[in-house]
Amino acid sequence: MGRPKKVFYRRRKVCKFCADKIDYVDFKDVKLLQQFIPERSKILPRRISGTCARHQRLLQTAIKRARHLALIPFTTD
Amino acid sequence: MRTYELMFVVDPRVADEDVVAMTQDYRHMIEAGGLEITKEENWGRRKLAYTIDKMNEGKYILFYIQSQDGTTKLHEVEHRMRQNDKVLRFLTVRTDLDLKRAGSRVSVVEPPMPATASPAASPAPAGPPATPVTAGSPATAAPTAAPAAPYPPGPTVEAASGREE
Repeated sequence: MGRPKKVFYRRRKVCKFCADKIDYVDFKDVKLLQQFIPERSKILPRRISGTCARHQRLLQTAIKRARHLALIPFTTD
Repeated sequence: MRTYELMFVVDPRVADEDVVAMTQDYRHMIEAGGLEITKEENWGRRKLAYTIDKMNEGKYILFYIQSQDGTTKLHEVEHRMRQNDKVLRFLTVRTDLDLKRAGSRVSVVEPPMPATASPAASPAPAGPPATPVTAGSPATAAPTAAPAAPYPPGPTVEAASGREE
């Protein structure tokens, strides 16, 4: 027979906020927000995190608010 | 009915008693404007994610405010905060609409325990509540952060960019 067929398993990304049933992303919840700011402190894009559009929008404002209050860095250098 | 959250950051060099006095001041101002403070949280001393006016820490105070008739005098409070240079940052957020939309599905925020009284303890000034916060990127920046330099060139920069590839 030929080569064994390579099977790719791509894990389906699920919006964390939908899964956890969170509809109000609080800017004070640093622990939660930190999961969406990788090393460079940029906001993790949706295509990576799998967050749905609505929640990404909420997350975005929450992160920006938290940044203003210096709870979260703008950038890491 | 509207609800607001008003959070502000105070200069860490201000003594705790004075912070309390300031908080009382603002509280009276808010209440004089016909608003009700439903809850007050004092997060205590906490590490800032970046330096503000060469300061690495701040004292966080949070008010939960309720307005019955929809009138707000909060801009006056904000105005006062803007003029007070002991207040490093403040933020007012109107929350009733978002919370109503969200219903009960709200992320749970546990207020970090108010930092235990350790005014000048250098190794852990912010106490245990700050450690989970600084576990990520700010921790790498903290040791290299010279107070005068806004962008201290640290070895972490090379390390981080190398790993990105």
